[in-house]
Amino acid sequence: MLKKIINFKKSTSFIAGIILLCILFILIFGASIISPLDPVEQNAAERLQKPSLEHPLGTDRFGRDILTRTLYGGQNTLISSVVALSVALLIGLFVGLVAGLFHGTLLDAVLMRIIDVLLAFPFMVLAMIVAGLFGTSLFHLLIVVAAVWWVSFARLARSIALQVKSETSFAAAQILGASHLTLILKELLPKAAGPVLVFATFELGTLILSISALSFLGLGSQPPSPEWGSMLADGRDHFMQTPHILLGPSLFVILTVLAFNLIGEGLRDRLDPYEKFE
Amino acid sequence: MLLIFSRKILEALLTLGLATSILFILIRLAPGDPVAIMIGQSSDVASSNTERYEQKLLELRSEFGLNQTIFQQYFIWMKQLILFDLGDSIHTGRSVMTEIADRLPATILLSVAALFIQIVLGILLGVLSALKFGRFFDHLTRFLCVLFASTPGFVIGLVLLSTFAVTFSTYEINTEAKLSRLWLPALTLGMIGAPQWIRTIRANMLTEFGQPYISSAVSRGLKYRRIVEHAFKNTLLPIVTMTGLSLTTLISGAVVIESIFSWPGIGKYALDSILLKDYPVIQGYALLMIALVIVIHLVIEIVYSFIDPRIHRKGEENVKKDY
Repeated sequence: MLKKIINFKKSTSFIAGIILLCILFILIFGASIISPLDPVEQNAAERLQKPSLEHPLGTDRFGRDILTRTLYGGQNTLISSVVALSVALLIGLFVGLVAGLFHGTLLDAVLMRIIDVLLAFPFMVLAMIVAGLFGTSLFHLLIVVAAVWWVSFARLARSIALQVKSETSFAAAQILGASHLTLILKELLPKAAGPVLVFATFELGTLILSISALSFLGLGSQPPSPEWGSMLADGRDHFMQTPHILLGPSLFVILTVLAFNLIGEGLRDRLDPYEKFE
Repeated sequence: MLLIFSRKILEALLTLGLATSILFILIRLAPGDPVAIMIGQSSDVASSNTERYEQKLLELRSEFGLNQTIFQQYFIWMKQLILFDLGDSIHTGRSVMTEIADRLPATILLSVAALFIQIVLGILLGVLSALKFGRFFDHLTRFLCVLFASTPGFVIGLVLLSTFAVTFSTYEINTEAKLSRLWLPALTLGMIGAPQWIRTIRANMLTEFGQPYISSAVSRGLKYRRIVEHAFKNTLLPIVTMTGLSLTTLISGAVVIESIFSWPGIGKYALDSILLKDYPVIQGYALLMIALVIVIHLVIEIVYSFIDPRIHRKGEENVKKDY
C-alpha cells in the first residue's frame, strides 16, 4: 500500500514536469503565432508601460513587448543550451566509456588527468576568463559549456562502465571476441545511457541557470537579441520603479528549470532506489 | 600515510601546473596585441606620431619578453607565477596582487557567512524533513527545495534587495563591505545553496534509518533522541565533502551576488575588469580561482582520509567516486 503511494508520488513530479515542459514548449516555439509583435523592433512611444491587455507583461525601456521578447528569448536559451549540452553529453559518454573500458591502462590515466585538470576550472570562472580574453558572446559561452561540461558525464559513464565490466555478460562478450567498438556500443552504452540521460536533465536546468546568470552579468547573449538573462540585466536599472519588467523573464526561467528538475527528480527516484525506507 | 599525502600533494601540484598551462595557452590565443592595448590606455603615446608609437611598442614587447619564442615566454611566465608576480593592473597601475588582496577578505567573509547559513538550514530542515518522512512537512520542504533550486540567484537577490532596500528601507545601498551590509547578500547566497544541503542531509538520514543498527537500537528501546543522534553522526562524513565543494561554488558563484549588492569582493572586481579588458587582473583572478579549487580538493581528500580510515583500504578508486 505504502509503496503504491510512494510510486504515485514519484510519478506525479515526473508527470507535472512533463506537462509543464510541454506547455512551455508550445508557448515558446509558438511565439510567432501567439504574438504578432516584433521582439526586436523599438517603439519609443510605448516605453516602460505597465501590464495591459495589449501588453500582458508590459513593455521594456525601448517600448518592446516583454511577453513577445520573453517567448522569443526562450527559443534562444533552450536551443543553445540543448545543443551545447548534447555536445558535452556525447563527448562525456565517449570519453567515460573509453576510459572505463581501458581501465588501468595509460589511456585511462591520461583521460583521468585531463578530467582532474578541467575540474580545477569552475564553469563560471572559465566562462568569465573566456569572455574577458575573447570577448563577450553567447557563442563563446556555448563553446565553454561543451569544453568543460562533459567532465561530469565522463565520470559518471566511467563509473558505470567499471561496474558493467564486472558482470558476466560483459565477460561473455569479451570471450566471444567482441571488438572494442562492439563492447562499447553493445555492452557499455545501453547500461550507461539511462543514468547519464537522467543526469543530463538536471544538468540542463543548471546550465540554463548558469547561462542566464552570465547573460545577466553581460557576459553571454548580447542585446538586442532577446535572452532571459540579458532581458533581466536590461530591466535591472529600472526595476526599483517598474518591477514588472523582471516578472516575465524570471518567471519563465524558473518554470523551465523547474520543469527539468521535476522530470529529473521523477526519473532519478525510479532509477535510484535509495528511498526503500518505509 | 605520509606516502599517500605526499603523493596527493604531488598530484595536486601537477594538476596546478597543467591548469596554469591551459591558462597560458588561452591568454596567448586571445585576439589582440596586449601591448597595443596597454599603450591604448595611456593616451599620451597613442595620440602622438606613429614612429614613437612603433618604438614604444617594440620597447614594451622586449620588456615583457614578447619578442622571444613561445617556450621562453612560457618559462618567464611560470617563473613570475612562482614568485607570485602577477603584474600590474592596466586600469589603475597598481599591482594585481595588492588589488586582489584588498578585496579577498570581503569575498571570504561573504562566503563563510553564506556557508554557515547553508549548513544551519541544511541540517535543520534536512533532519526534520527526514524525521517527518512522507508527511506534509516533508513534501513542503522537498517542493520548496526544488523551487529554490530552480530559481536563478540573481532573481532571489533582486527580490530581497527590492524588499529590504526599497519597501522597508532597512538595507543601505552603497559599496562598502560593512558587517551591517553583510546579512542580505549572505542570506541570498545561503538560500541559493541551501536546497542541495537539505536534500543531501535528508537522503543520508533516510539511508541511515534503513540500516540494521537503527533497528537494533529501536528494539533495545533506546530513546528517540539518541537514535536520531546516532544516525546524524553518520551523515557527517558527506558534509565534509559538501563543505569543500560548496566553498568553491560560493567563491566563484559570488560574482552575481556581489554585483547585485555592490559588495566589493574579488568577483565584482573581476567582472569590472572583464568589461574594462584589464588582462592582468583577469589572469590574476583566474590563477587565484584555479589554485583555490585545487587546494580545496586536496584538503577534502586529506581530511576525508583522517575521518574515514576505510578509504586507504578501499584504494584510490573510491576516494574519487565519492564526490
